[in-house]
Amino acid sequence: MTYQKTLLILIISLLSTNLIFINAAHARIKLVTLPDRDNTTVRLDNPQATLVEEERILNLHKGVNKVDFSWKGVHVDSDSIRLKIIGHPDKTRLINVSYPPNSQSLVWDIYSPRAQQEKIRVSYLLANIDRLVTYEAITDKDETKLDISSYMILRNFSGESLGPAMFQLDYGQGFMKSINDGESKRMLFYQANQVSISKSFTFDAGKHPWEPNKQDTNVGIPVHYELENNKTNHLGKHALWGGKMRIYQDDGRGGSIFIGEDKPAYTPINQKMKLYVGDSRDIVVTQRKTHHEKKNIKRNRKNRIILHDEIETMQITIENFKDKAATINIIEPMSGEWEIIKTSHPYTRKHHQQMEFTIKLPAKSKETLTYRYVVKNVKTI
Amino acid sequence: MRHFISTALLIFGLGISNSSYAKIDLVTVPDRDKTQLTIYNSADLTLVREQRTLTLKKGLNRLEFGWENTLIDPTSVQLRAPRHAAQVRLLEVSYPKGVKGSAIWTIESDIAGPVPVEITFFTSGISWHAFYMGTLSKDEQHLQLQGYVTIRNYSGEDYQNASTRVIVGKIHLLDEIAALARRDAPYNRPDGTIGRLPMTLASGAMKRKAYREMDKAEERLSMNDAVAAKSIIKEGLSEYFLYTIEGTENIPNHWGKRLPSFNIKNIPIRNLYRFEVERYGNATHRLIYFRNDKKHQLGKEPLPGGKMKIFREIDSEGHLAYTGQVHTKYIPVNQEIELDFGQAREVKVEPVLMSEKTENYQFNSKGNIAGFDRIQEWEIKLENNRDIPVDIEVWRHFHNAYWDIDNSVDNKGKFKKIDIDSVKYTIELPPYSKTTLAYVLTKYEGERQNRR
Repeated sequence: MTYQKTLLILIISLLSTNLIFINAAHARIKLVTLPDRDNTTVRLDNPQATLVEEERILNLHKGVNKVDFSWKGVHVDSDSIRLKIIGHPDKTRLINVSYPPNSQSLVWDIYSPRAQQEKIRVSYLLANIDRLVTYEAITDKDETKLDISSYMILRNFSGESLGPAMFQLDYGQGFMKSINDGESKRMLFYQANQVSISKSFTFDAGKHPWEPNKQDTNVGIPVHYELENNKTNHLGKHALWGGKMRIYQDDGRGGSIFIGEDKPAYTPINQKMKLYVGDSRDIVVTQRKTHHEKKNIKRNRKNRIILHDEIETMQITIENFKDKAATINIIEPMSGEWEIIKTSHPYTRKHHQQMEFTIKLPAKSKETLTYRYVVKNVKTI
Repeated sequence: MRHFISTALLIFGLGISNSSYAKIDLVTVPDRDKTQLTIYNSADLTLVREQRTLTLKKGLNRLEFGWENTLIDPTSVQLRAPRHAAQVRLLEVSYPKGVKGSAIWTIESDIAGPVPVEITFFTSGISWHAFYMGTLSKDEQHLQLQGYVTIRNYSGEDYQNASTRVIVGKIHLLDEIAALARRDAPYNRPDGTIGRLPMTLASGAMKRKAYREMDKAEERLSMNDAVAAKSIIKEGLSEYFLYTIEGTENIPNHWGKRLPSFNIKNIPIRNLYRFEVERYGNATHRLIYFRNDKKHQLGKEPLPGGKMKIFREIDSEGHLAYTGQVHTKYIPVNQEIELDFGQAREVKVEPVLMSEKTENYQFNSKGNIAGFDRIQEWEIKLENNRDIPVDIEVWRHFHNAYWDIDNSVDNKGKFKKIDIDSVKYTIELPPYSKTTLAYVLTKYEGERQNRR
């Protein structure tokens, strides 16, 4: 096994206990052993940093032993290095740590009451090693179900090759893997089939052009899938990590087409994951302001208007050129002290600056939505 | 066959030598049995699906997959055994350090012997686009429309006997496939630095040059169709439209192909001239309309956006004159198509402001002007200098939500309010004739907007 190239532990034995106070440089005389790494655990639960814990058996002499730990060329966070004595924690003691100048190393002074084998655990944060999660998903022809495969990608550019090590995630059993420096590995993580999805289209009056026929290029209406991380969907065992998801659709001829990719956010259990798949050009939304007036004008003593209400009417025409029914969300940004006077369709107040309509439109149909609203107490200063 | 996906079986070595992928007992895998290309046009993306037969042994099998000098996205590669899905699993894909353009697959198999597998991946460098040729009848009342699908391959790979599909639709992609193909670490590095492989021959300037040459070749090609035209099967999937070209195609690297998609004669069209200062400036634009529906002998499929060259028949012998080139948008089934031929010389629209006066002044407490009415008399002069009758739309935007309009009696039936500050007039004008639209527009300024 040659994986241990750069991260070294050397034990320096001392000639006599009288030399305890001798300068460390002089004391590095004799290499006693080069202990192999054992029981390595790589914790990938924190996306900011990867914690490595490794156990080693040291052959200690009676008295103070100098144990040299160096990490030349390895992305070890030197402040994070910890040593734990496991074998005889009450008798064997770490008494001092020193840092030789200009080197990526440290020296532990370990006192041992007798010549013995001692088990220690070294832990440190290792940078440039992490995991990613990606997803491949395939939906049926009707776009109601999704079969999801999740992959774990291990990336190791830490400068250190890891022999068989236990990789531990934030839940569940860990797994044993070897990964060399500079290597990336993709592994099947889990699969969930027949996950229910709902598909919707979203027009946002604050983002999309109101008159698509006056644009030089088609206005795409974003298409989303939504799924819930729950047991009914054969998920819900753990949070779904964010990562690139590539979505395909069964073409009904034994193959598939790729329909889009997105990077969903981290989705806890029982929460919804929203995926932006692509843009539809078969849904066309045209919005127009058809009425505007000022009401309830209040004037000051100089006869200047200081306060008024504004009444406006909006007309939104939604055309579905698809041969399938479609659910379309219409997002309308609102401002000020707005109140709806009348709408042709039910709406939801999302927050103080937004309302939303959800309209189900049959295949090949057209519908016109109108709403009349007042913005109260518009101030003129 | 160029560099493509070289696959070689490696006998799985001793369990512990995970770190060194020694190539012991190299077994060559047979060529692909079948290839299917699904080419997108909204992004530089092609989904390749190939079928091969692997000879597997029970237990773990190691396979090397190489893509050097191609434009393949290594993260997209997937392997499935459709007939043995439960027995054959791709456990792990490893991208070792310093090995350019190759990965090691670990496949677990419960069966021994030949197993048909499907390998799918994305490549960049293959593109397609729609191209149209339109021929107007002499009276400009009908259009012959020919649609084509043009495929070009600059992927670095020859595709032989490939069944070919092209897709219309606007796909959402997070990364360009061409950029993924050039990464030295397929998933990048944890610290975010991006390593890139040197550009391959199929990229960059070479590619652009080749595209230019293709364009020229295409112009020369454009008047002739293939001798035996292949049929194209068309179907909708999700927000996409799929054209499957009958049979298989050979598309060598750096080659292009044009396939006729449809040829429809006698589509009734509507000619329209439009004047709208805010959109076109002071020019009248010439437009042609027809609907993508059964009535117009269309409506079977959406029409992908593309370049359209329009000609006009000028005599009974079918001699042609070139009218112009337009870029069409994607047109869903049942939607009306608008083709904008730009400035028209023979149909003129000129808005003339005949008089302007102000009235009804209001003053504030300091004696300053607080509001007034602006009264404008407009005459819109229209001229048709063509030998055929034309429809003209005149759009006027007032940039003010407070106005009244007094149309002359002659405008009856021609006027329509569009929204709070826009109106439209629609007029049919006989050959070689003139007319005038007259109206008085009152715009309310300042305090006058609050009149009761």
